Amino acid sequence: MSPDVFFNQFMSGLARGALLFLVASGLSLTFGVLRVLNFAHGSLYMLGAFLCYSLWAKILLPSLGFYIATLISAIIMGAVGLIIETSILRALYKRGWPEQLLATYALILIITDLVKWQWGGQFLSVSRPRPFTGAVFVFGLPFPAYNLFVIALGLAIAIFLWWLVYRTRLGDIIRAAAHDREMVAALGIPIPWLFTWIFVLGAFIAGLSGAVAAPFGAVALGMDIEIIVECFAVVVIGGMGSLPGTLLGSFIVGQVYSFGIMYKPELALAFIFMVMAVVLIIRPWGIFGRPER
Amino acid sequence: MGNAFDREEGKILSRAAILAIAVGIGLVMPHVLSPFYLMILSEALIMSIFALSFNLLFGYMGQLSFGQAAFYGLGGYAVAMLITKAHFNFWLSLLAGVLVAAIAGLVVGYFCVRLRGIYFAILTLAFGQLLFVIIYKWHDFTGGDDGIQGVFPPGILTSPKVYYYLIFLAFLGSSYLLWRIVNSPFGYVLKAMRDNPERTEFLGINISRYQLFAFVISAALSGLAGALWAPFYRSVAPFYLMWVKSGEPVMATILGGANTFLGPVVGTFVMTFVHAYVLGFTYFWPVIMGCFILLVIFFLPGGILGFALEKFTTWRRENSGHGRGRSGSSGDKKPD
Amino acid sequence: MRSGVLIKGKVVVFLVAALVAGISGVGLAQEPIRLGAIWGFAGPCHMLSESAVKGIKMAVEEINSAGGILGRKLELIIRDTEMKVDVGSREVKDLILREKVHFLIGPCSSGVALALQVVHSEYKILRISTMANTEAQTVDKFTPYVVQIVPNTYMEAVAATRYMHKRYPKAKRFATIAPDYEFGRREEAAFSEEIKRLVPDAKIVYEAWPKPGEKDFTSFITAIMAKKPDAVHSSLFGGDLVAFTKQAAPYGFFEKIPFMALYDLLVLTALGDDAPEGVMGFARGDFFMDPNPKMMQFTEKYRMTHGTYPDCWAVQAYDGVYLLKEAIEKAKTTSTEDVIKAMEGMSFDSLRGRFTIRALDHMGTVPVYQGVIAKDPKYPFKIWKDISRTPGEEVIRPEESVREIWKKTGVVR
Repeated sequence: MSPDVFFNQFMSGLARGALLFLVASGLSLTFGVLRVLNFAHGSLYMLGAFLCYSLWAKILLPSLGFYIATLISAIIMGAVGLIIETSILRALYKRGWPEQLLATYALILIITDLVKWQWGGQFLSVSRPRPFTGAVFVFGLPFPAYNLFVIALGLAIAIFLWWLVYRTRLGDIIRAAAHDREMVAALGIPIPWLFTWIFVLGAFIAGLSGAVAAPFGAVALGMDIEIIVECFAVVVIGGMGSLPGTLLGSFIVGQVYSFGIMYKPELALAFIFMVMAVVLIIRPWGIFGRPER
Repeated sequence: MGNAFDREEGKILSRAAILAIAVGIGLVMPHVLSPFYLMILSEALIMSIFALSFNLLFGYMGQLSFGQAAFYGLGGYAVAMLITKAHFNFWLSLLAGVLVAAIAGLVVGYFCVRLRGIYFAILTLAFGQLLFVIIYKWHDFTGGDDGIQGVFPPGILTSPKVYYYLIFLAFLGSSYLLWRIVNSPFGYVLKAMRDNPERTEFLGINISRYQLFAFVISAALSGLAGALWAPFYRSVAPFYLMWVKSGEPVMATILGGANTFLGPVVGTFVMTFVHAYVLGFTYFWPVIMGCFILLVIFFLPGGILGFALEKFTTWRRENSGHGRGRSGSSGDKKPD
Repeated sequence: MRSGVLIKGKVVVFLVAALVAGISGVGLAQEPIRLGAIWGFAGPCHMLSESAVKGIKMAVEEINSAGGILGRKLELIIRDTEMKVDVGSREVKDLILREKVHFLIGPCSSGVALALQVVHSEYKILRISTMANTEAQTVDKFTPYVVQIVPNTYMEAVAATRYMHKRYPKAKRFATIAPDYEFGRREEAAFSEEIKRLVPDAKIVYEAWPKPGEKDFTSFITAIMAKKPDAVHSSLFGGDLVAFTKQAAPYGFFEKIPFMALYDLLVLTALGDDAPEGVMGFARGDFFMDPNPKMMQFTEKYRMTHGTYPDCWAVQAYDGVYLLKEAIEKAKTTSTEDVIKAMEGMSFDSLRGRFTIRALDHMGTVPVYQGVIAKDPKYPFKIWKDISRTPGEEVIRPEESVREIWKKTGVVR
């Protein structure tokens, strides 16, 4: 295979991985601290995409409107996260993890129908905003500029989260709570408040990634189910609750898919689940995860 | 004292009576119900087998499997392919479906039982998805997205009424088998592992081996459900193996109550009939199901049946006067 | 005392009212003819199914306001298959057993259609296929309970291939991209067969099989471009085609590689200015492809009712309902067997011209259309130029060929 083809597939994989990271980072954060695997995370992503579409369609500025819509969608999804955490999840922390899992599964059903009722089942489409409408030429081959935007955004969020978790006091609290929440509570830090804000942050990022995904592909029902399983693969491979792990996991899944499509298109999807299963068998807590529960 | 004996016998007698009545009702149904409702009842019975097989792992062994649909689907595909492509005998095909599912359960289970808690759940999901993708993409062998059509049962079994009896018999047989298993020494070990894995290990029990055995049985029965379903609808499709399908027995069990033997059956019946009813006037079934589940999680912690049974035993205790000194079963979240 | 009289009075009034209602009920209620419309409102099928329902509803309203069929009202019941085989099987059983429909129309997905026909044939209910077009419905898996008036995968692909070859006679290396299910598989198989017949040393250098409802085509796009084909044939449709076109454009895909796909009115409208000019399209009878008087009249009425121009999905569904009406009137009964007999060999004046339902396999000799996307000042969306209308008789599979396939698949007729 010629280097330019290799490079193109690599860049495609990078773009897909970047989007995956955006979505999975929220999931990983939530699991790391709250120990809740939020099945409905993909639904929040999907709702963010649909909200972005509607807002963008209302704000009649095609380019600036998209950025505004993205920000507002993310904020709205943060608020939705607030509602979900305080009304549903908070009451379930003292129950077992199966109940929590099932509650988030129920949320998938509810949010899917909400989207179906409000927007119908059609494929909606958002135009790519300036300046990312065309293609950039790398090695003489065109590469969609918007994909570069997604990659850049993914890196930006990664850096932001890294700063947040490793360089701020809030981050110290987060990491401590992930280790030992009773101790943190004993130190006088209100755990419920912390959990709520982490979940809200996760939901915000989910909404943001949904909005960003809108011009990338198509906005339609089924987005939630498709993305959540790939997110699971990402956090499993990288390590649940580990941010560098999620970054690595997203990268791996993106590349496996991209090159899989090139060589053995029938098995591209299967490869991802194979890797996921192998990691779970050999090292269940993932590459960067820690062997606690 | 004498009273305690009466109550014990009374309990057994009333159980047998209830069973006889239920079986009697079941046998009479095809002559009473319209073809539409007979179809719904048949569905509910098959899916009850599926849910019961799931609860062997969840309620009795304490492990949440999110990949049961893969075994269900494999059972269905095995039957579909043998009947349409190899023109196999129907009964042998059913058996083959169960066996294929059991073997898959052995392979998948071998890896899964080494894990606990959420890791077990996610690995079952991963394997389930893997099998789904293989079936979905192996177009030449399985028909891919289109599935396999034209799966007919032989002779008189094409009549929905006759096929119903087959389903009903399979349901009775599976329930009986599972009942014997959970009330056998093997079943007690499973429950012990669920309640306190470390102590069980100290007793010298190889947890993984027991769990694997239970996993295979569960997979085999899930396969039976799928094997019965395919000829019923005359087709199979890859979506039978998707993780979303795996969620159905989970929901049904939680709805009905994971801490009772028949909870999954109650949950499945409620789900199936409400589903059919609701679909008559709206497409928005998922939101109703989702709200149902949330309500049950919050207000009926033991599921419908669990909650009802608890209320019933409390009422009986308060009204019989013999209940003093008896340790209550309320508060226990696990089936005994 | 007074209450006794009041009660008696109420009872009398009630009885009289019931009697009147009963008599008038008996007089009015001639049982309606129930038509089950089973479509997929999900994935790429969604927009097509909605159009089809629009066409059906228009036909049903027209027919009912003109007195119905044989004096009976036509009643429409709609169900969603979600483009899934298992849901579809279930819904069609629901329609037959609970709603007790007399006839079926639909679905969108070819895969679902094949599953449906096993079920409704068992219950002896006739289905008119106006969208799902796999040839297997009338050939490989033939059942007398299906009548097809949408060009099947063979007819459509053969005509499209010939059109592509005429414009690009030197092309030898081809790639395909199609949704991975019955329709895509059949259509590309027919394309492959025909192109190899026209160009003996033709090669298919890459086959892309995204799943129906795929949202991210990037990897497929770059993989196809890497193989540098001379031309690409695609059976992507609806939402899938819209997404693919939008994602491929920034790569300069359409400038570099001749491309042909199902660019019907819905897709062209959704793409708007982004519709790639110079790209070839094939479709099944959107209004601008066949501007005969009947179509133009229909277009006017459709625009008035729905505010949009009619696409081929609405057109074919409309045709389907009227075909059913004519057959029932010819047979003078709604008994399935008689209606089927009436349809065999019947000629029908559709919006797309006159065609015949072949008695052998119930396949209509319906036309297929090809063209090249171009701007037109008359419309806010792009349409086609260089339009070619291929009559069904020219591309329908000859009867001997059908019988040969039947020998292999075991169909006895």
